[in-house]
Amino acid sequence: MKESTAKDRQTDADERTPIRERWSVQPSGDSDEALAGALLRAAATVPPFGPKNLAEVAARLRSRERHLPRKWAWQIAVAVGLLLFGGALYAAVLHILRGPSPRALPAAVPVSMPVRASARRTHTVVAPPPAPVLSPEPEPSPIVRAEEPHAPRLAYRGATLESAARASLEPPPAPPDNPSALAQESRLLAGAIHKLRQEHDPGQALAMLDEHRARFGAKGALEPEANVTRIEALLRLGRHDRALGLLDGLALTREGVGREMLVARAELRAEKGRRAAALNDFNSLLSADAPADVVSERALYGRATCRAQMGDGAGARADLENYLARFPTGRFADQARTLIGK
Amino acid sequence: MTSVRSDATPALEVAPGVPDLETVYRSYAPTVARWAARLAGPLVDVEDLVHEVFLVVRRRLPEFRGDAKVTTWLYRITERVAQESRRKDRFRRWFSRARQLEIERTMASPHLTPVDDFERRQSAETVYRILDRLPGKYRNVLVLFEMEELSGEEIATLTGLKLATVWVHLHRARARFIAEMKRDSEKRK
Repeated sequence: MKESTAKDRQTDADERTPIRERWSVQPSGDSDEALAGALLRAAATVPPFGPKNLAEVAARLRSRERHLPRKWAWQIAVAVGLLLFGGALYAAVLHILRGPSPRALPAAVPVSMPVRASARRTHTVVAPPPAPVLSPEPEPSPIVRAEEPHAPRLAYRGATLESAARASLEPPPAPPDNPSALAQESRLLAGAIHKLRQEHDPGQALAMLDEHRARFGAKGALEPEANVTRIEALLRLGRHDRALGLLDGLALTREGVGREMLVARAELRAEKGRRAAALNDFNSLLSADAPADVVSERALYGRATCRAQMGDGAGARADLENYLARFPTGRFADQARTLIGK
Repeated sequence: MTSVRSDATPALEVAPGVPDLETVYRSYAPTVARWAARLAGPLVDVEDLVHEVFLVVRRRLPEFRGDAKVTTWLYRITERVAQESRRKDRFRRWFSRARQLEIERTMASPHLTPVDDFERRQSAETVYRILDRLPGKYRNVLVLFEMEELSGEEIATLTGLKLATVWVHLHRARARFIAEMKRDSEKRK
């Protein structure tokens, strides 16, 4: 026991000894410390955080200055939720205690809804004449929600983005007195697209998209379109990691802007060394009916690169020869000729 | 690529009084970005982390009384934000990227990418894979000592630990790092 205590004390004393020499500055060698040092030295190099990055984060910070601090927003949301819940509970208790009101019945059963004959008989006796039918209030987001009720939230719908993009080119219409949530959302998104495509300011576009997310959250009717715009802005800013993270979550189609997103995702996956996943994307773009457009050109060269990196020299060569046959003056034509030695 | 210790690093001594957000951002954002990149590893988006850090800074700046140095205060926020980001990243990888990591392990040689960049990225991934297996307190001290090249005293100031504790953590972190490095290398053979 005494021996073990003495040993512990010695260990404690050893562990408190200052370390003077860093592994990362040791010369290369075969010792464990030298190997660890070499690894740590390589990992210590980080990409620079330059003026462009600083300006972009500053813009994002400024864009949130108009909003309530998160803490207060949460407290208000919780208070409103509790109030609504309390009100509903109070109404339910009252309803149970007093029994159903005969005046409430016609409102609960819409005129056109089929009602069992027995129930109709009962109601027609006690119900007052139906209230006059008013023109219904417009639903906030009928178009978007009705199209694909079961599609994943991130699925891209090209037509809506295109219309938003077109809208950004035209002067915005005069705001209505009480704009719906969809109108507000659409105006914000159109502004972001305008910043991105007309003013070529992806940083500001991203700030507006942050504002969109802060106001409407992931449940916004135009969230998929906002997401695609965000990816475009991130790509223009060179923030490939973040763009790829978003693209990984998208269910992309091979139509319209979906094709461009798909080829961008494939290239980013290849860049990050995720070549098998990249190859899948490239393959889906290069189906037999694929048009001979810029996307196909990029996909063909990208697939050749991937195949070469995965050790499939014959496949890579076939793709490069196919590339030169289809796009002899394409932007990768010189590299393709060099690679296959033509 | 930046050098190991950037020239943009402000001195650890900070003027007394409570600075405003603009000043703090202008003076310390590059330092925060470097800490965030080194604490969180190569798979994170540094801009997002810096943004998160300064959102916290803005929220808490009115409560900052200058009892601690600004750098110490900022470092602790960055450490927490980076830790949270790593936690989320672990979940994300667990759900969706486990297969990708397997694919990356079996990659052929990248003769169409610059070899040094590829090697550097591989080394960084190895280092952070090993660091992820270390307890946070050991991991951070090791990062500050080996990558940030801070002295024991500077680490103590930044983290608020006693100097003796810094050395204890560093000794243990080094021992664990070597052990995990060997285990990692065995696993990959």
